Amino acid sequence: MMNNKTTAVFYDGNSSVPQQIELSLNKLNATLEFQMSDGTHCKWLVKDVFFDKRATGLHLKYGSEVIQHIKIKDDHFINTIHHFRRENGHISWYQKLLDLGFAAHFGIALAILGIIGLCYVYVIPWAAEQSVNLIPEEYDNKLGNSAWAGNEYFMNVDSKKTKLLNDFAKQLNLKNTKNLKFIVVKSDEINAFALPDGRIVVFTGILEEMKNYNELVGLLGHEASHVNNRHSMKMLCRSLSGYLFISVILGDANGIMATIGDNINSFQSLSFSREFERQADADGFKILLANKVNPQGMSNLFKRLKQNNFVSIPEFLSSHPVTENRIEYIDKMVKNQKITTINHPQLESLFAKLKQ
Amino acid sequence: MEKSLEKRVEYALNYNGKGSDYFGIIIVNWLLTVVTLGIYYPWAKAKQLQYIYNSTSLNDDSFEFHGTGKEMFKGFLKAILIFLVLYGVLGLFIYLKMPITALLLFYVLLIAIFPIAIHGSYRYRMSRSSWRGIRFGYRGDRKEFTLLFFKWIFFTIITLGIYGPWMAMNMRNYLLGNVRFGDVEFEYDGDGTDYFALNIKGYLLTIVTLGIYGFWWQKDLFEYYVNNLSLTREDGKIRFNSTATGGDFFKLITLNLLILIFTLGLGYAWVVTRTLKFVFEHVEAEGNINLDTLTQTEENYKDATGEDLSDFLNLDSVM
Ligand SMILES: [Zn+2]
Repeated sequence: MMNNKTTAVFYDGNSSVPQQIELSLNKLNATLEFQMSDGTHCKWLVKDVFFDKRATGLHLKYGSEVIQHIKIKDDHFINTIHHFRRENGHISWYQKLLDLGFAAHFGIALAILGIIGLCYVYVIPWAAEQSVNLIPEEYDNKLGNSAWAGNEYFMNVDSKKTKLLNDFAKQLNLKNTKNLKFIVVKSDEINAFALPDGRIVVFTGILEEMKNYNELVGLLGHEASHVNNRHSMKMLCRSLSGYLFISVILGDANGIMATIGDNINSFQSLSFSREFERQADADGFKILLANKVNPQGMSNLFKRLKQNNFVSIPEFLSSHPVTENRIEYIDKMVKNQKITTINHPQLESLFAKLKQ
Repeated sequence: MEKSLEKRVEYALNYNGKGSDYFGIIIVNWLLTVVTLGIYYPWAKAKQLQYIYNSTSLNDDSFEFHGTGKEMFKGFLKAILIFLVLYGVLGLFIYLKMPITALLLFYVLLIAIFPIAIHGSYRYRMSRSSWRGIRFGYRGDRKEFTLLFFKWIFFTIITLGIYGPWMAMNMRNYLLGNVRFGDVEFEYDGDGTDYFALNIKGYLLTIVTLGIYGFWWQKDLFEYYVNNLSLTREDGKIRFNSTATGGDFFKLITLNLLILIFTLGLGYAWVVTRTLKFVFEHVEAEGNINLDTLTQTEENYKDATGEDLSDFLNLDSVM
């Protein structure tokens, strides 16, 4: 019986006077028993007592309105109680989770982080892309309009060549569902980009690099495919939902408006993912085929841009520079497909005028 | 037993928590919160508060937090309801084509939520905390505090924020001045002018020294908080004194940052532990109140709505 007895400190819940008590564990009745300083006998059912192991000892809480406390420092007795509670299934599942120890907790933390990471990289972008179908097309137009309005001032539009380029595009079937507007901007930049409202901006710098009209068809096909596939909107939804996800995880949602703003303002530099570029290359290639234009033009353009190793990387190559991969991909498609090409004297003459 | 001691004594304040224990609690809570899609959050919060209170001790007896997840969950639902009503009012007046009335009413109500949240949070937290079974309590009056809050906000707005330090001190004086620890009363003696001067000095020197003075500013703020706090009962008194130096803060903050960065945030539990240890190691308490003679005076208060509203409004720093 020695094991089941100890001295402890009791607080009655009405004053802070410490009372020394003799506490005993009655295993038979599953009670803790002691005598208060005024002589009252107390019996607490072990299962009704709240236990907490702390640096200052084992703490026992009992009661709801008036809460009584006992503090035990005797390690041996603490162990006895712990064994008794474990044998009788009094340890809560929460406590069991805590008792797993540091290594297990660390493992759980890594697993949760891993799941969050997977969600961020795979699940969220996928869900975001699906949600694009729910967004009306006019929203794309609004976005494109405001992006153009913000940048128009800095663009030196070549109205003569703009008309020529529109005539050039009119000869082609670009598989577009919405009206495409082509704009030529005077600039040395070797660049071209598509806005979500169907505006396709081509810089004179990139026109100068081209040797054949089929290269221009390749470029227009690529950019038109970005518009047809609503890549801008998909990208916006991806980065927005990615941000939303992160801010929910971190409990901060202030940056959402800033993300929308950033995206509207930086459409030019908005870099599409490798995957979107590949899709635009593939769809652009199909457009070349459908128009019976030699698809070799696309790969020729890439090769030349790569050779010259331009310092300023054009948008439709940025963040996904002309890799061997991309050129190989087109060359392979050229080889694997039956290609019928015809002469396009009209395109040829318009291209010649554009080059002047 | 005598209520006041003949000789002044030192009281021992300690934080005995361990980083690895707190880490375990945070991770288990995180797991449960993720698995229940967030519903576990109130219980998680209660567990975390319980651990921190239980690991803090005064004269070798630990504090207790009795708040439960259930209470906080109920409070959470009520807090959501309050916000829904708020947005409902906004929507109704916009529907009635009275947008200006709607916005005005919305902001007045939104500002009114702040004092209600702070008041509720204080009442709940204090009443659910105890030491040796003696409850803390908050005796502020909600209506009085709300009116004062509107007055302070008004002054702060018309002075373009200059009144801010006075508002902060008035609020701290009111809130802490209404805290009870059994039959012992808290008192805070903050002065807006001093606080304003302290902050202006801290701000300017921090800019001049390219941020280095920030640690000493932090030290001054901590000292101002601690040294103006006192407890009284009849002729007994306990005074607090900060012993932290700017160098101590430099060490604490830079190391905390390094821990957070190199553990990618997983070291948060150790950062909290280090910080709490730091706080209690650098607070001296001295006086002549006999802590063996406290009596229970404060009632139970189990409504956690204010606590949850404060959580929504990110008001943790007001505590
Ligand atoms: Zn592209």
